[in-house]
Amino acid sequence: MSQRLMEVVLRPTSLILPVILVFLIVMGILLPSSIRSLLMEIMIFSIYGMAYDILFGFSNQFSYGQALFFGVGAYGVLLLALNLNADLWTAMLVAVMLSLVFAFVLGILAVRLSEAYFVIISVIFNMVFYLLALDWTWLTGGDDGLTFTVPPIPLGFASYSVYDPIVNYYFILFFVIATYLILKRIIDSPLGKILVSIRENEERAEFLGYNVIRYKLIAYIISAMFTGLSGTLYAIRTRYASADYFSLIMSADPIIWTLIGGAGTLIGPIVGVVILRILTYYISVWWRNYFILIGGLMILVLRVSPKGIVGYIASKIGVKF
Amino acid sequence: MLSELLMRMIFSLTNGIVWALVIALIALGLSFIFGLMEIINVAHGELYMIGAVLSWYGLVWFGNFWLGVIMASLIVGILGIVLERATLRPVEGRPAHTVIVTIGLSYILQQIVLATFGGWPQKMPDPLPVTVQFLNVKYPGYRLLVAGLSAFALIGVWLFLHRTSLGLWIRAAMQDKEMASAMGIPVSRVYMITFSIGAMLAALGGALAAPVVQVFYLMGLDILSVSFIVVIIGGLGSLKGTFVASLIINPLEGIMIILLTPTEARIVSLIAMAAVLLVRPKGLFGVIK
Repeated sequence: MSQRLMEVVLRPTSLILPVILVFLIVMGILLPSSIRSLLMEIMIFSIYGMAYDILFGFSNQFSYGQALFFGVGAYGVLLLALNLNADLWTAMLVAVMLSLVFAFVLGILAVRLSEAYFVIISVIFNMVFYLLALDWTWLTGGDDGLTFTVPPIPLGFASYSVYDPIVNYYFILFFVIATYLILKRIIDSPLGKILVSIRENEERAEFLGYNVIRYKLIAYIISAMFTGLSGTLYAIRTRYASADYFSLIMSADPIIWTLIGGAGTLIGPIVGVVILRILTYYISVWWRNYFILIGGLMILVLRVSPKGIVGYIASKIGVKF
Repeated sequence: MLSELLMRMIFSLTNGIVWALVIALIALGLSFIFGLMEIINVAHGELYMIGAVLSWYGLVWFGNFWLGVIMASLIVGILGIVLERATLRPVEGRPAHTVIVTIGLSYILQQIVLATFGGWPQKMPDPLPVTVQFLNVKYPGYRLLVAGLSAFALIGVWLFLHRTSLGLWIRAAMQDKEMASAMGIPVSRVYMITFSIGAMLAALGGALAAPVVQVFYLMGLDILSVSFIVVIIGGLGSLKGTFVASLIINPLEGIMIILLTPTEARIVSLIAMAAVLLVRPKGLFGVIK
């Protein structure tokens, strides 16, 4: 009986997601501002984590350099609003398109390479652009970064300011839900099935007549666009961007979220983000070198739980994602 | 005016060649470790950094720079053994997993140095404060010494690989692990020693470079990007390729620095790497599966 109950509760399309959704909608107004602020950060990084899962969990392309697209998204929206006075939708759209262009150029070079080359190429590009962001202070503000005034959100005849934290909260919530629904739709579509078949056995997918490289490139680009989206939301949330948005620490974050939560489950990375962000939120207060803990987690996670939390629960109760 | 430009070019080119030898030393370890165990060591830059930090401590404790260099290499060599046995052993042969583990290692190593050595860059005194003059260019003598020592170490590695039985074992295991194991080569121990040598080379590079650059807990980042570029252009696992690529990329960046900032010069290397990969997806000398 309890197994049946667990199954109902944990099936991603059943009760649990609507409950979380209602909780998030109601809590936007009720929560104290510090917790709301943490929740906003968690939601933005959830988009980043889900985007990473499309790449790593669903098409088995291990990248250590996604912060490149996060930074491009963040700076895209900031520079457009700051220098060209673009309205918010235009700025966000262009920023996401910029991530697409970057991913296309880089993807053409990288996706056809073997696993080891792919990882190293992703790291190299990420590092060089990070160094460039530090160097070109006239454009990026370097280490100190740039602040900007976020234009209001135009919605038909009315417009809302993200400087109202509650507006900002629902703004982000909208994009998290949209991202989840779109990515879920992609995974359940034939495209998603092909990606999984490539992940499981690349050669067989090739023999079945699929253009493996093209599908890997598609997954790479989709992932980069949503990573860019999370970058734009983060810049809007903080009204700021700095070279640190390109840093390798930013690139390692989605890896650990996805591994802890469970790769190839889509909601796994969200679980990972929640655990890691809450952990660091409280620990960083009293331990300056808390990165030792994160480093330890990265060393141990594959040994302790290669499938992650969601993967573990799913295998215990026989639910398939 | 023209002669001044020429002098600057000679200076930058010499710098590039000096760095080429140091980077070859560091990247050799990286390539070595990958070729044998398929470990992509993201923490390699941290081993370089620890080499530099330990040589700084060596100077403080013993008052002798060279003693510090030897101490740094030995300690990091032992550290390499510990890290390989304790953390990398279970994931060897799976590049993605080794990246995850070595990211964790690099965080821990950085934080330990931050907590003990501090977060401020430290300058070291020049161990050989002479200038050498050639072609009307004054060049710091210590850097030439570094180049000489790096070349010496590179020859040492080559002799070790080709003239000792342990080197033969390493080359055999690189070609075919199972066959090497069947022939009675203790492959697991060969792995451990190879990782230790790779770590030692990175530390030696860091210790020698310490008086030229600033000793800083994030100094590994810059070195790692150029080392990776060199390893990719040369071909993963190819020691000859690593050496040749280093001798191409670093003088190229050296010359570019006359016109560009160091980071923009790195972009030129990046483009060179992309061009090589488009023509040869396994790098110039790549043979690995």
